[in-house]
Amino acid sequence: MAIAVPYLGHGVGLRPKHYPRLWDGTARADWFEAISENYMVAGGRPRAALERARATAPIVLHGVSLSIGSTDPLDEAYLDALRALIRQVEPAWVSDHLCWSGIGGHYAHDLLPLPYTEEALAHVVRRVVAVQERLGRQILIENVSSYLTYTHSTLAEWEFLGAVAERADCGLLLDVNNVYVSATNHGFATNDYLAGLPADRVGQIHLAGHTDMGTYLFDTHDGPVIEPVWDLYRQALRRFGRVSTLVEWDDHIPELDVVCAEAERARAVEAEVLEGAHAAPA
Amino acid sequence: MLPLRELQLRLSAALTAGPMDTGSVADTADPALLALVSHRGALGPAQRLDIYTDMYRTRLVDVLREDFPRVLAILGEEEFRVLACRYLVRHPSTHPSVRYVGRRFADFLAGETGDLPFLGDLARLEWARVEVFDAPDADPLGRLDLESLPASDWPMLRLRPIPACLVVECAWAAHEIWAAAENSVPGCAGAVRPEASTIRVWREGWSVSHAAMGDLERRLFPLLERGEPFARLCAMGEGGLEPEAAAREVGSLLLRWLEDGLLARLPA
Repeated sequence: MAIAVPYLGHGVGLRPKHYPRLWDGTARADWFEAISENYMVAGGRPRAALERARATAPIVLHGVSLSIGSTDPLDEAYLDALRALIRQVEPAWVSDHLCWSGIGGHYAHDLLPLPYTEEALAHVVRRVVAVQERLGRQILIENVSSYLTYTHSTLAEWEFLGAVAERADCGLLLDVNNVYVSATNHGFATNDYLAGLPADRVGQIHLAGHTDMGTYLFDTHDGPVIEPVWDLYRQALRRFGRVSTLVEWDDHIPELDVVCAEAERARAVEAEVLEGAHAAPA
Repeated sequence: MLPLRELQLRLSAALTAGPMDTGSVADTADPALLALVSHRGALGPAQRLDIYTDMYRTRLVDVLREDFPRVLAILGEEEFRVLACRYLVRHPSTHPSVRYVGRRFADFLAGETGDLPFLGDLARLEWARVEVFDAPDADPLGRLDLESLPASDWPMLRLRPIPACLVVECAWAAHEIWAAAENSVPGCAGAVRPEASTIRVWREGWSVSHAAMGDLERRLFPLLERGEPFARLCAMGEGGLEPEAAAREVGSLLLRWLEDGLLARLPA
C-alpha cells in the first residue's frame, strides 16, 4: 500500500504575519500549510485568513498536539475539533508528529521524543490506526528534531517510523531538516535514514532553517535552509521522487516573498534532480 | 527499563515541575530518568534534558508575554518571567492548544502580587481581549437595519450583543491601568487607587477594543444579554429620570452600541 496524497508542488506555511497579503490578494503559493491548532477557534481573523488562503490555493493541515505517542488516552475533544476543522477546510491531507506532547492531563506543548522500542511501536501503531478511523482518512506522521535518545531504544528512528507507516497504513511527512539536525545531534548517517524509509509512504517533505548552538543543532525555523540540507533534499528527491515540499519559517519570519523564494528554490532543486535542469543560484 | 508511561511521567515531571528559574535538571536529577538518556559527544543526559526544559519554559513564557503585554510592561521582563514560571509550575497547561495556557494567569496573579494588587484585574482584561480575538463571528446590526423597522415593532424588539463581546468586572480601573501601561516603565503603576469598574471588551472587524461602561450601560447590558425586549430596557433606563430624559439616554446608548458594532444583526 502507498500513501494516496496529490502532488501539490512547493508550498509555504500560513502565518499571521502574512495575512495582509491574503487580504490584498498578493499571497501566491502552490499551497499553504496551516497549523491545525491555530485554527481550532470559533472565528475572528485566524479563521477568516484560513478561508482567504483556501480560496487562493490548496490547504494542508499540520498539527502539533495530537500527541500520538502519549500514554494518556487520545484526547477526544481534540479529535472532535480536528475532525470539525477538516470538514470545514477540506485539506489535501492532514499530518502531525511522531512524538508525545503531554502526559497525566498536562501538555508540554513540545515535540518530545519517544524511545524506539517494540512497546512504543505497538502503542503508536494502535493510536495512528484509531486516529485514522476517527478522522476517516489516512494521516501523515512527521519525524521530529530531537536532542536526546534513550539507552533502551532497540530500533533506529527510521526503522521505527517506517514500521509505523507500514503497520498503521499511514503516510510519512519527511522533514529533511529534522533528519539533518537529529543526525548531527545523535551521530547517525543521513543516508541510512533516507534509505531506511519506505519510499511509497512519503507524501510530503518539510524544509527549514536551524541554529548551530555549538554543541548541538537546534531546530529553530528562523532562517533560510542551509546548503547541507539542500543537498540532503536532493538525495531525498532521488530516493522518493516528486514529493510536495513545504518551507517552514516560524521565528524571525521575513516577508512572504522571502519565504516564497525558498519555495521557488525547492522547485528549482526538484527540477535539477528530476529533470536534469540547473538549479537557480541561492 | 522503564515502561513507556513511567518514562513519560518522569520526563514530564522534569519539564513541568523542575527548577523553573535558571537551574538545571542535574540539580534535581531523577536517576532513573537520567539513566535512560544516552550520553554522546559533548552533551550528557542532564544537558540534553535541559534543552527540553529550556524550550518548555521559553515557549510558554513567550505565549504569556504575548497574551499579557501590559502586565509585562508593568512588571518588567525579569519579574514577569519569574512569575510566569511559578504560574506554569502551579498551573501546567491542560489544553492541547497553547492558546489556552494563560487562562488562569489572572487568578494566579491576583493571589501573588500583593504589592501590585491591580495586576489580577489588568490580566483579566488582557485575557478577555484574547478570548474576544477569536470568538465567533457575527454580522453587526447597522443603523439602517433599525431605521427600516416599523415603530410598532420597537417595544418588543430584542437586541443582542455580538458573541465577540465580554464584560469584565474589576475592583480597579483596569482600563486606565492598561492605557497607562502602554508606555510604562516597570512599577510606575504602583500609585493606582482602587476604583470599581465594569469594562466591556468587544471585536469590531478584526480589531479588539474595550471601554468602561457607565452606570446606565452597566444596568442595561445584562438585559441586552438576556434578550429582553427593548421596552424593558427603556423601563430599566428610567431609574428616577423622567420618561423623555430616559428615552434620550437609552437612545444615545443604543447609538453608541450601533457605532461600536456591538449589536448582532437581527434574525431574518
